Amino acid sequence: MTYDWSVIWQYRALLLEGAAVTVLLTVLTMAVAIPGGILLAVLRLSNSRILSGTAASFVEFFRNLPIILVVYWAFYVMPVLTGLEFSAFTTGLIALSLNVSAYNSETFRAGINSIRKGQTEAAIALGMSRTQAMREIILPQAWRRVLPVLASTWVSLFKDTSLVSVIAVGELAHAAMTVRSQTFRVLEVLTAMAAIYWLLGYPQAKLVDWIRLKFKVAE
Amino acid sequence: MSASNRPGAARPAVLVYRDVKKRFGDFQALGGISMEVHKGEVVCLIGPSGSGKSTALRCTNGLEALSGGEILFDGVPLPQDEPRMRPVRQRMGMVFQNFELFPHKTAIENVAIGPVTVLKMSAADARRRAASLLDKVGLASKAGNYPANLSGGQQQRVAIARALAMEPEVMLFDEPTSALDPETIGEVLNVMKALAEEGMTMVVVTHEMTFARRVADWVVVFDHGLIVEQGPPGQIFDAPTTERTRNFLSHLGWNG
Repeated sequence: MTYDWSVIWQYRALLLEGAAVTVLLTVLTMAVAIPGGILLAVLRLSNSRILSGTAASFVEFFRNLPIILVVYWAFYVMPVLTGLEFSAFTTGLIALSLNVSAYNSETFRAGINSIRKGQTEAAIALGMSRTQAMREIILPQAWRRVLPVLASTWVSLFKDTSLVSVIAVGELAHAAMTVRSQTFRVLEVLTAMAAIYWLLGYPQAKLVDWIRLKFKVAE
Repeated sequence: MSASNRPGAARPAVLVYRDVKKRFGDFQALGGISMEVHKGEVVCLIGPSGSGKSTALRCTNGLEALSGGEILFDGVPLPQDEPRMRPVRQRMGMVFQNFELFPHKTAIENVAIGPVTVLKMSAADARRRAASLLDKVGLASKAGNYPANLSGGQQQRVAIARALAMEPEVMLFDEPTSALDPETIGEVLNVMKALAEEGMTMVVVTHEMTFARRVADWVVVFDHGLIVEQGPPGQIFDAPTTERTRNFLSHLGWNG
């Protein structure tokens, strides 16, 4: 069997563009899913049963569905239900954001709950409202505990963006599959795709390790 | 309890507890207690663990809602809803057994945060107030330290300064030395003693019988959610009138 690696160079622009879309999709998804996760976590911890119940249902729904199903659902069903048509990219972004927001909300909830009750009581005893206690005392502490988990989620998300290739979002996996179907060079294309994912993913994983060390909680 | 053996009785009552009850599910933590705290008094609540003394203290600033009875603060019954309780709480300082300093803030930031967040004081004014309070508790040199870099005794002194920053009318202490190493207990008790001498009204839940004996104006003995005896320290420690007070003190090895 002979190998023809020149196809990778030949299609470099397409692959690089795919890599850029992958990174952009990861960044945008997190940009939505971090505030989304905080909002869901705070709603879930609220005293209103309607708010906490709604948030809990949302989280349990999207957390327990395979992402690829949510991607297909957002692509085929959402436009029918809502009457809104989005580009493939936006549709993929919505699907990923729903899933990651649900995950992040659990991360934030665990982070908030890990701060012992006495901290809230100390803030309340000073005369703070519950909102002030959450903003000034609880969230800043929870943040340090949450950050390493968010970083891990980030790395998973980076790889999971490949799932939106099924709805033809031109990210790295889709770009690679396009090259494959045009050149029939499966081994070369998959190897190049693996190399690009790994080269981009490895520094992120190392960064996560560093964040874990840096933000280790000392009390 | 006759007025004659209670010097503070002539001064107005800051806190009046009337048949206060607190229930946690099936557990009756307070079975109806009545007592008074007069202006400038140090009232120590003593008794075995689980006897309800901490619960009584936590009911005082609304960290626990009452199940029955009432507590009057300056003659006004404590509101039992969050929003109306908040301004009342600002007039009471609380010190916790586990300090509960905010670990992400330095000592001086811990002291300044109340005035800044709650009283809307400017950052500079709050810092000035915080600095002078840290000085007062002997920790001016530790202003920039995070709680993790302070000893237990130092943390508790910062916590006292934090409570004082709100310029409270009453200070509530919930076993302030129970989590401390023996060698740092003294420094916290000294700060509390100095505060008492300045005339601060204080309610202190404590197992430090020597402190209660020397500093308290009035001692209240709790057992099983009830007050079994109250009186001046001389009476409680030297001539207790009830069997349960005698039992409790002898279990602690107290012999006068």
